Amino acid sequence: MGDRAEPLERLLNLVGLLLETPTPLTFEQIRQVLEPYGQANPDSAKRMFERDKDVLREYGVPLELVDVDVWGTEQGYVIPKEKYYLPEIEFEPGELVALLVAAQSGGQDPAAESGARKLLYGADGGVLAGLGGGPLASGSDARSNLVHAVAEATQGLRRIRFTYRTSQGKTDDRDVDAWSMVFRAGHWYLVGHDRARDDVRAFRLSRMVGEIADTGAGSRPPDDFRAADHVNAGPWVAGGDDRAVVVFSASRAWFAASQFPGAIEVGADEDGRVVMEIPMADEEAFAAMLLEYGPDAVVRSPASLRDAVVTRLEALLG
Amino acid sequence: MADRRRSVPKTSDRLGRMLAIVPYLVQHPGSALTDVANAFGVAPGQLRRDLDLLFMSGLPPYGPGDLIDVDVDEDGHIWISMADHFSRPLQLTRIEALAVYLRGTELLALAGMPDAPSLAKALEKLRRSLGAQTLREAEGRIEIARRGHAPEHLDVLRDAAMTHERLKIEYFAASTGEWSDREVDPEEVFSGMGHWYVAAWDVDADAERLFRADRVRSATPTGESFAPRGLRGAGRDLYSPTGEDVAVRLRLRPSARWIAEYYATTEVEERDDGGIEATLPARQLGWVARLLLRVGDDAEIVEPAELRLEVQQLARETLAGYGHKT
Repeated sequence: MGDRAEPLERLLNLVGLLLETPTPLTFEQIRQVLEPYGQANPDSAKRMFERDKDVLREYGVPLELVDVDVWGTEQGYVIPKEKYYLPEIEFEPGELVALLVAAQSGGQDPAAESGARKLLYGADGGVLAGLGGGPLASGSDARSNLVHAVAEATQGLRRIRFTYRTSQGKTDDRDVDAWSMVFRAGHWYLVGHDRARDDVRAFRLSRMVGEIADTGAGSRPPDDFRAADHVNAGPWVAGGDDRAVVVFSASRAWFAASQFPGAIEVGADEDGRVVMEIPMADEEAFAAMLLEYGPDAVVRSPASLRDAVVTRLEALLG
Repeated sequence: MADRRRSVPKTSDRLGRMLAIVPYLVQHPGSALTDVANAFGVAPGQLRRDLDLLFMSGLPPYGPGDLIDVDVDEDGHIWISMADHFSRPLQLTRIEALAVYLRGTELLALAGMPDAPSLAKALEKLRRSLGAQTLREAEGRIEIARRGHAPEHLDVLRDAAMTHERLKIEYFAASTGEWSDREVDPEEVFSGMGHWYVAAWDVDADAERLFRADRVRSATPTGESFAPRGLRGAGRDLYSPTGEDVAVRLRLRPSARWIAEYYATTEVEERDDGGIEATLPARQLGWVARLLLRVGDDAEIVEPAELRLEVQQLARETLAGYGHKT
């Protein structure tokens, strides 16, 4: 077969050899054992071996060059078993299915899929049969390589730079100590210390422009830090101490109740219109939200909210 | 990551696959080729070719590993021996572990996620077992905020999709503001951008439709079963343009940019004031008019002109509810 042998076969043999060898093997010794390296001329065999090493390392195979003896006169290659093998993890069948479904959900992510598949080896036989369903979720709006990079930065508490476009459309460069990631309502956020603003800020990953740059060690968050507290709900999310009373038409009432968290039905009138009490945080934002219901929502109280709605409508009519 | 992987020769993909599949086969003698191919995301023919290669693999003069012996019997079951050094898979890379963990976390954030406890337990085991070198500090570094609540009839929809049972539903179409009773064949229930959707065949319309699960007021099994048409679930566009769409062109101030993030828009152009101009395809203008009522003068209608009249009309009708005559 010589060097025309399938590279896959050669690579598998190399992995097996270096996993099983009791002592590290020099390239010369490998050449004697594995035919493809032995038959080619020494230079091209060496080049082939170098390429193979790169492929294996890229794939995460811990191929190491170590001293063959205590005197360090010669070095050889070995794949330490304890670094190569996945540790035993006892998963229930349902847990493995859940992981596999998760890895396949959220759009293409080869790393998640190959990772989850490695976990399958110890599965109960029935697990494969249970894998009928498709993915459960579409992807978030962030690129998966960016999500990985930011996750790595938070894991290592790194300091990063990136270009960010705010929800208001302003673009500038940020210098942030990455502390944590939060997933909220379909979006990934980075929460960290914004150095220029000297404050904790949340950044939606889908608004990062380009890649992030790692600029060194960052800082540790305070002990009482809770990342989720810093992800702003946005003014359009209802919920607050003030309560508004709004009358909805019969056709929209059910839908409105499902859209405003904490809404309670407090009455109905003879036309089937439903009176609801709704917690509201920001009066102007709430007025805007109600306007999306058009004539199907009429504010009863407070008067200031009524005024806010009427003022907006009058402004529209000029 | 995806880009980098594509540039690596295909051999490394096959290698990675074999390093994951062989351990599975060693642990599960007699597995069906088709099941294995399906679970590992490879075509059965390709898997067979890769397995054939294993015949040639082995460790000539060393140790217990003679040539690996692979046999696919007449019924398509795989038998493998002498592959002890591949009886356990390769450790997950940091990126693989992180990617699985992140995906799992995304699903856990979904209210109404089936089997959430299993997933949570699996992620916890993964985090603890892979420990220091891979998922260093996932706890406290990767979080979920606010789970909301699941749509009321999600389970009924999901059961029907699983058992292929036709449903009668009462559905609220936000685009028209109307309720309708429909018969549907639900095929896929999936989440996208924070909402649950049902990809179904609408029997009355005799066409494929996407329904938001939180807009289903009631769902009743009919007892009738249907043959699935293979409708696409997760990953599909949440808005599918039709030939009858009106192209609504809007000039949005910075504070109304969220419209382009929330709705499917095309031909987005940045503007000097930090705002954008974008086209919003719409089957009906009614909901767009209501949206524009909400954003007021933060949006300017470029076209169609009749939308301006519609917004004004809607504003007048709404004001009438407050006892204003216009």
